[in-house]
Amino acid sequence: MARKLTAPLIIVAAVWLAATGAARAQTLQRLTVESFVLSADTLQPQVDTPFHVIVTLHVRESVSEITNLQLPMLAQLDLLGDERQTVSGPRGTQYREVVTVVAHTDGRIVIAPATLQAIDAHDGKAKQWFTNDLPLSVHSSATRIVNGVAVGLFAHVARVLAALLWLALLVGAVVLTVFLLRRRAPVASPPVVAVSYQQAPIPEAPLVSEAERRRQQIRDALLVLRAERTRSAAVRVRAAIWRVIGAPEGETLGDVLRRPGCGEGTLRDLLVALERSAFTYDEDLPGAIDDACAALERYAGSLT
Amino acid sequence: MVERQPGDLHDALAKTIVGQENVLEALLLALLCNGHVLLEGPPGLAKTLACRSLAAALEGDFKRIQFTPDLLPSDIVGTRIFDQRESSFATVLGPIFANVVLADEINRAPAKVQSALLEAMQERQVTIGPESHALPDPFVVMATMNPLDSEGTYALPIAQMDRFLMKINVGYPTREEELQILDRFAMADTQPVRRVATLDDVRSWRAAAHAVHVDEKLKRYIVDLVAITRAAQGVSVKSAGGATLKAADLIDYGASPRATLALAFLARGRALLVGRDFALPDDVRAVAAPALRHRIGFNYRLATENVSADVVIDAMIAAIPAP
Repeated sequence: MARKLTAPLIIVAAVWLAATGAARAQTLQRLTVESFVLSADTLQPQVDTPFHVIVTLHVRESVSEITNLQLPMLAQLDLLGDERQTVSGPRGTQYREVVTVVAHTDGRIVIAPATLQAIDAHDGKAKQWFTNDLPLSVHSSATRIVNGVAVGLFAHVARVLAALLWLALLVGAVVLTVFLLRRRAPVASPPVVAVSYQQAPIPEAPLVSEAERRRQQIRDALLVLRAERTRSAAVRVRAAIWRVIGAPEGETLGDVLRRPGCGEGTLRDLLVALERSAFTYDEDLPGAIDDACAALERYAGSLT
Repeated sequence: MVERQPGDLHDALAKTIVGQENVLEALLLALLCNGHVLLEGPPGLAKTLACRSLAAALEGDFKRIQFTPDLLPSDIVGTRIFDQRESSFATVLGPIFANVVLADEINRAPAKVQSALLEAMQERQVTIGPESHALPDPFVVMATMNPLDSEGTYALPIAQMDRFLMKINVGYPTREEELQILDRFAMADTQPVRRVATLDDVRSWRAAAHAVHVDEKLKRYIVDLVAITRAAQGVSVKSAGGATLKAADLIDYGASPRATLALAFLARGRALLVGRDFALPDDVRAVAAPALRHRIGFNYRLATENVSADVVIDAMIAAIPAP
């Protein structure tokens, strides 16, 4: 029996690289993206069992770090850890980020694509790359056992069908070769055609505006805070919003408000409201969370 | 009737004192947190004026004690004299019996006189002969010290330094501030604003400051800040010559648990000053250097490597991420 979802836990793993916000305001990296993939070590994770979501990026350039790579919002998953590795060499740079997460409820989850903003080295234009999205089917222990039997049967049938198909293809190829040889006598040896493998270009999705992405993250945060009106949720949302605006952990509110664009308007009100909900006394917490939700709404509405 | 706020006192002080925001805030925090302040800076930077202005703005007694090498403990706390008419000893209370006491140039008096202040500052009472006398409430000692003139001065004992809630380094005003000083004191005769708040106001503010909420995350942050002063192996600082030094090599001893308490008191007081009933990491960080700088024992390498104590303290504060 599926456990009731206590509350969607927000984990805005939005900007994990240290100075993403600042970097975005500065210059993008000039990169030739060769692959950019989102995967998981299992597509059928079990409830309350940690698993890994993996982002892999390969670029032709040798760089020491990848900036402006943005992980998707991992709603309904709890973040347990994050490990990044950048290996660069003469063949380019391989970036791999492994996020350890856990789901607390069964059902279908679709993890949105990760994004990368960079200057395309081919044409010098600023672009945004997307990974694939990642559908996951989270099972409780009971459903997994039932599904496991079904999946086993299906896999067996699929293997038999695949073998038959390969056999048919092989026979067809032999018949076709014999037919062609009989029809055309070879006059001269055919020219050798050098076939160079070229990887299919990674589809470029249209640039999603920064404001739109940020608005979505704010809405997710609002959902979480409304669903889980606790101190810990307020603290998590506060941390998530700080990451969204590119503020590193360890800064104080004063530091964040001194950042460009943060010290005024609805964003300032939001940051102050979240700070209150994170640090005020218990009796004041419900009111502080109400104010924080209202501030989140106002800020989301102000993003154009 | 409009209830008076600590900010009113601040505004009154700011009408007299130009700039020196850290000094004004320190004086108010000392009042709110029931502590004492040590002001260190060259002569002529309005240290004494700030204390006098605070006393004037309060409806309380103000006494100034000019510390000199020939000062005696009885000159501060009082003494017993023989009354011939009554044929008995009578107690004459010293200038320490006031709400605001300005200990001017405190390091000019020898250690035994400075120590006479210890009981008064910590226990809020003095013992004269066989009798102990409670000091008035509120009781705030504001001591000034001149760092430039070392001849004929006596360094304050560690125990004495620890009694001060905070130590403020008073700096020179900016050019614009100095122009304002000219306008206020050379072109006009600005007098301290009088009786802005009562002693009862101060007591009620103190109670409000005591009720300011300090979250668990903030408590751990405070403890971490004090702990790093005792084990700063991972903190590096740059000397004036550009050499990289370990902070731990410059420190003989770290701050005491009294510093932990001071940080919590001051964070609460600062929160109240800005009108909040809960403290934030910003409050702790803002008061960390004034609460720690006189409680850390730096060794000779600080001077030989030409490193400022505040640079080391700032590096230690920066090494602890705020919650």
